[in-house]
Amino acid sequence: MWRTLRKYVNIFRVSLIERTAYRGDFLLGTILRFFPVITTILLWTAVFKGAGQSRIAGFSEQRMIAYLLLIHISRMFSSMPGLSAGIAHDIRDGTLKKYLLQPLDMIGYLLSYRAAHKVAYITTSAGPYAGLFLFCSGYFVGLWPDALTLLAYIASLLLAFLIGFYFEAAMGMAGFWFLEVTSLLWVVNTVNYFVSGQMFPLDLLGPPWDTLLKWLPFQYLAYFPAVVFLREVQGRALVEGLLLELAWTVVLILLSRWLFARGLRRYSAYGG
Amino acid sequence: MIRYLRLFIAFARFGLATEMAFRANFLVKLLVEVLWLGILLVFYWKLFENTSSIGGWGRSEYFFFVGCHYTLTGIVETFFLTNCVEFAELVRSGDLDTYLLKPIDEQFLVSCRWIDWSTLPNIAQGTLIMTIALRVMGWIFDPVRFVLFVVLFVCGCALAYSFLLILSSMAVWLVRNQNVMEMWWLFTTLMRYPRAIYEGPWARPFGLFFTFVVPVLIVVNVPADTLIRALQPWFIAWTMIAAALMLVVSRRFFRRALQSYRSASS
Repeated sequence: MWRTLRKYVNIFRVSLIERTAYRGDFLLGTILRFFPVITTILLWTAVFKGAGQSRIAGFSEQRMIAYLLLIHISRMFSSMPGLSAGIAHDIRDGTLKKYLLQPLDMIGYLLSYRAAHKVAYITTSAGPYAGLFLFCSGYFVGLWPDALTLLAYIASLLLAFLIGFYFEAAMGMAGFWFLEVTSLLWVVNTVNYFVSGQMFPLDLLGPPWDTLLKWLPFQYLAYFPAVVFLREVQGRALVEGLLLELAWTVVLILLSRWLFARGLRRYSAYGG
Repeated sequence: MIRYLRLFIAFARFGLATEMAFRANFLVKLLVEVLWLGILLVFYWKLFENTSSIGGWGRSEYFFFVGCHYTLTGIVETFFLTNCVEFAELVRSGDLDTYLLKPIDEQFLVSCRWIDWSTLPNIAQGTLIMTIALRVMGWIFDPVRFVLFVVLFVCGCALAYSFLLILSSMAVWLVRNQNVMEMWWLFTTLMRYPRAIYEGPWARPFGLFFTFVVPVLIVVNVPADTLIRALQPWFIAWTMIAAALMLVVSRRFFRRALQSYRSASS
């Protein structure tokens, strides 16, 4: 018992030393990360001040800013930095072989790797984000959801993780057909930033665009969890939204599996 | 001086030749830049469908501001950003040694070696937005303001360059600099919006700090203000002084950083 505990205490100690070895860098990065949050809040405050109306696209000032803060939580779950590029890279330089030679499923391996990564990331950044939400707690007065909404919110976030993962994985599979995919990824990421609602709630675009974008999987990466939390979608719409999210998850799982299987037939395992 | 100019032209030609070797990639980069600009414009357009002004800036005034910002960041990205990102990497890998041995000013070599041709069109796009905005608001040509604008715009570029140089020089002490590009992006969000939005109990001191202590808010604000809004002599003077000051400070900072460089792991 004591030995097991000591092992983990040591792991903790080493990780902490590793973290603090770059404390200056870490501190600077953490401080700078708050700048876009601050400017976003100030920008929208100024927009509402000049608007002469209390609601924009159905959002009050308080809810709009709460929305933009909640986007950070959505992205905490759904962002997969470097996943597509990593897969494409493994395909190109032949290191993909290591997955094929072992009794190991590549997508399954990457999924568990990312899940562990996310858990570590969410725990370590919980502190700064708790501080941020405490500082901005004024925007959340009266917005705290009931148990059922909270449950739906957590479900939407977990599915957001899966959609984020399988979408990126499917993108990475493009590496079987194209030698260089980084430029394709830039385009997709740029468009994604917009259509997932990271800049503003999709409702601001007005019909028919918002309706169209709400049928696509991208909204689940940022927009949907946030509006679930804010109870913008309730009852029947909430159930439908979650079902569509589930459906997209299944589609993307099948798509990445299919692309992987098709790709392996083309794969010639050069290099590595 | 002539030597530096010739070197610079040689760097530019080399950069272009490299880019042209991967033409499709280059075209996609251009496409991404255009896409990004389009997204920004849609965003601000949508905002102005719902509001009449942001921090006292009307629609065409605001778009002028956006154009001004876009042009300025285009210049910084084209000429300096890639180089400064590279600098952090050179420090980490120890490859900076090769550069220090060259018979030429280190700061010039480190910050001007590579020209990113793919962001060059951003400068033209930004200028186009400024021009359209001026047309729409019916701006009447005023030579004094125009000259002041050009001078202040150059000051803004000098300020931005100085901040970038300081940020990347920190790599020497912080070693594992998290992506300088990302740091730079985070830092420059401050100059993306009008100064007037820094209103409120905590935002005001925050805005003042970044106007007078770390003068990043004036980078785009003062040139844009000067051309289309009220002339503020004090701010104009401060921008010019700050630009000169920051150029000196950043050069000192860079030299100090080089002195602390340990040339490890080369």
